[in-house]
Amino acid sequence: MGLSLDRLALGGTRVLVAEAPGARVVRAAVERAALGRGWGLASSPAQAGVLVVCGAPQQRLQEAVDRVWDQLPGPRARVGVLVPQDAAPALERAAGHLADRAEQRRDADARGAGPGAGGEEGDDGGHGDDGDMSDMGMAPAGVPLAGGDEDRDGLEMDVLQVPLGPVLPAWPAGLVLRCALHGDVVASAEVEVLAGSGPGGGSAASRAADGAARLLALAGWDDAAAAARRARDALLDGDDARAGHVLEGLRRRVARSRALRWQLRGLGRLDGAALAEHGLPGRLGGDVHDRLLALLDAAAGDPRYTGEGDPDSAAAADAAAADAAVVAALPALVAGLDLAAARLVVASLDPEPVPERRVARG
Amino acid sequence: MSVPTDLGAAVGVAFWGLAVVAVAAGVAVFRVDSMARATYALAVSFVAVGAALLLVGLDYVGLVVVLMMVMEMAVMGVYMVMLMGMNPALMPMSMVHSGRRAAVLAAGTFVVLAAGALLVPWPERRGAPAPDTVAALGTALMESTMLVMLVVSPVMVATIVAGVALAVPRGRYDRLGDDLRRRPADDPQPGGVGR
Amino acid sequence: MAEAAVETAAAPWALLAAVLLGALALGAACLDGVLAACAEGVPARVGLRAPVARTAALLRQRRRTTVAADGLLQRAGGGGLVVAALLMVAVVPLGGHALADLPAGVVWFNAMDVLVWALVWLAGWGGDSALALVGGYRFLAQALAYELPLMFALTAPAVAAGSLRVADVAAAQDGLWHVVWMPVAFAVYCAGVVAFSVQGPFAPPAGLDLAGGVLTEASGADRLLLQAGRYALLAAGAAFAVPLFLGGGAGPLLPGWAWVLLKAGLLLAALVVLRRRVPAVRPDRFLEAGWLVLLPAVLLQLLVVAVVVVGRG
Repeated sequence: MGLSLDRLALGGTRVLVAEAPGARVVRAAVERAALGRGWGLASSPAQAGVLVVCGAPQQRLQEAVDRVWDQLPGPRARVGVLVPQDAAPALERAAGHLADRAEQRRDADARGAGPGAGGEEGDDGGHGDDGDMSDMGMAPAGVPLAGGDEDRDGLEMDVLQVPLGPVLPAWPAGLVLRCALHGDVVASAEVEVLAGSGPGGGSAASRAADGAARLLALAGWDDAAAAARRARDALLDGDDARAGHVLEGLRRRVARSRALRWQLRGLGRLDGAALAEHGLPGRLGGDVHDRLLALLDAAAGDPRYTGEGDPDSAAAADAAAADAAVVAALPALVAGLDLAAARLVVASLDPEPVPERRVARG
Repeated sequence: MSVPTDLGAAVGVAFWGLAVVAVAAGVAVFRVDSMARATYALAVSFVAVGAALLLVGLDYVGLVVVLMMVMEMAVMGVYMVMLMGMNPALMPMSMVHSGRRAAVLAAGTFVVLAAGALLVPWPERRGAPAPDTVAALGTALMESTMLVMLVVSPVMVATIVAGVALAVPRGRYDRLGDDLRRRPADDPQPGGVGR
Repeated sequence: MAEAAVETAAAPWALLAAVLLGALALGAACLDGVLAACAEGVPARVGLRAPVARTAALLRQRRRTTVAADGLLQRAGGGGLVVAALLMVAVVPLGGHALADLPAGVVWFNAMDVLVWALVWLAGWGGDSALALVGGYRFLAQALAYELPLMFALTAPAVAAGSLRVADVAAAQDGLWHVVWMPVAFAVYCAGVVAFSVQGPFAPPAGLDLAGGVLTEASGADRLLLQAGRYALLAAGAAFAVPLFLGGGAGPLLPGWAWVLLKAGLLLAALVVLRRRVPAVRPDRFLEAGWLVLLPAVLLQLLVVAVVVVGRG
């Protein structure tokens, strides 16, 4: 009885994916393997039974991943995947750990009963500096009160310091956006990229399909996001014919959806002047809806997208420079937007973060 | 009455139980440690009052008390939190001030009201409740007091709109320019119908 | 208007009502699982099993608390959704019986759906986590946009029937269902049901961009109750549409109670299928649309209904 219930419960496992920069292909393989097993993808640590670390995070990203690991309620399992071929076996290993009652009991006994071992607020940032430290010392349970500030409409609002990333669903790998929130409006943000490495690779087309899948998932259109993921997997398999077929139908559905246009129209609009100011490539012009269609075109092999994963070519250097420019421009682009809009704008720009030093507030 | 009479004893117990809940939740409003708890303790108190009204056969009034009060408390909670800056969910705090004066006033008021309730010679009941209290209430609202309703509603709506307009620094001239001709409007975040 | 005869069912039947509501909710979750599996390209049977497997996994998961959480409010919010859904179906007549035959049954349903305002916000507030809190506030913003149109959509059938009793509203549709001649009210009602269930296009309070919003910090049984509550609310909303718009238990061959269940099941399936076909509606865009489009539309619908009722004398 207990054992069959365990087996049933195993089928309902949710997987939280932590991705190091450069491990996009690994994450794609992990997502595919997880969904293939009937496991869903977790959106937060509280939901997850398995933490899959894609690629090799370096020190600070590793610390963040460790903090997220502390937030998994248990029964829990943690596996690392360095190459796409290892995704399915790694999940099989994780299933073994979850099914091992004795091991789970030892793990539970070794942890305290209290909240996340770090003694921090359990948000998904995996970072310690919640709350505004400038406030005087009223801090029940170590969480300081928020400071106040004038908001967008000139009303006094609480300011919350909330880091977005580095472990967050549908979020660029290794990116941390430290936001000062007025309610749910991003007043200002600073950006940082935590270092890590992955096998790289993956064609520009598959990367674009992956970006489109993330954007559609954030827009709350699960079926379209699933189609984009299928196209991405076909591209990674080298099955261009099937990918083209899926993308054709998806492009038609997306372009036809008035509800989607209503949601994305006018968000994060970049005209020529804005592109020049931030040094962004022309393909990122227009609003979020335009960029979504551009991503789908790029996935279908549109020549506007260049810079295949060949590190020696000039095009690849251009692509890396463009990614760096996008990351540097993010604080300016999300300031004044609410969280939902900010997430959509970041996903539509779909940067591949390149580790560098912190840049100033936008 | 919407309850069968053979349930008389159970209804009595339920009524007094709800009365105790209403008073206890009312007390809790001033004893708890967070704005959210205070707000929703008040909501619980009102829900108990609404349920008690259901028990005495005032279906419509009881349900509207629950409906309106839960909605109001949900919105009021937002304002309470916003104005009091209560981020950690459980922040030690006090909902009362000027304790001694308030205690004297409260005790005095209670004595006056209780004395009135006990000493006034209440008249015998002459009428009988309407067979359909919902319809009776509707008739009263839509016939004899209709004029009052027609006057009060627009005044209340105008008050709300005016209050918001005064509170928000941005006005239509900020949105639409000095000649009110700018299209689309200049909003920090555009709305849903492209005004 | 003739009084429709409805007997008040004895208290033990409440258990059956709860079982039926649970079955409808589970069916909806399984259908959603199958649709998701088809979209992902995995076998449909995996999706069909998913809600049961997920339930088992959540029952096995440990409960996790956050720092300085308000557990009382968090759990009251999470556990309350299922209770609100059960209270909603208490006034739905199943054949000739209802658990509660209230003279103001339509208002009862409305009061229960307003409880969801408080419950979802509390679930978001209690965890003391920024993203969950934003989710709770998001729901209130959305509620301010859907609730008034929903109230007027509930009013239309009651005006047509000249009664707030659910059984009277069902009986008033003899020969012509309300859905036929008040389609706008029906559409707005369905949108309201999807919205107070925090599902589909109205799921941003539990959205992926907030890492799960009001669900972010919920694990184990807490999360199970929240998710079950969402499906139970959707099922209760579909069940309440039957006496309100779909002619109650009227139908050939089958007994009344079977027709009620069948219509509720079909509408629920339609809602589950339709809500997957649209992207999420961002609350800041929906607020303006709710007040400037939905509200006038449903008020016009109400005017039409009122004129028809006066014309019929």
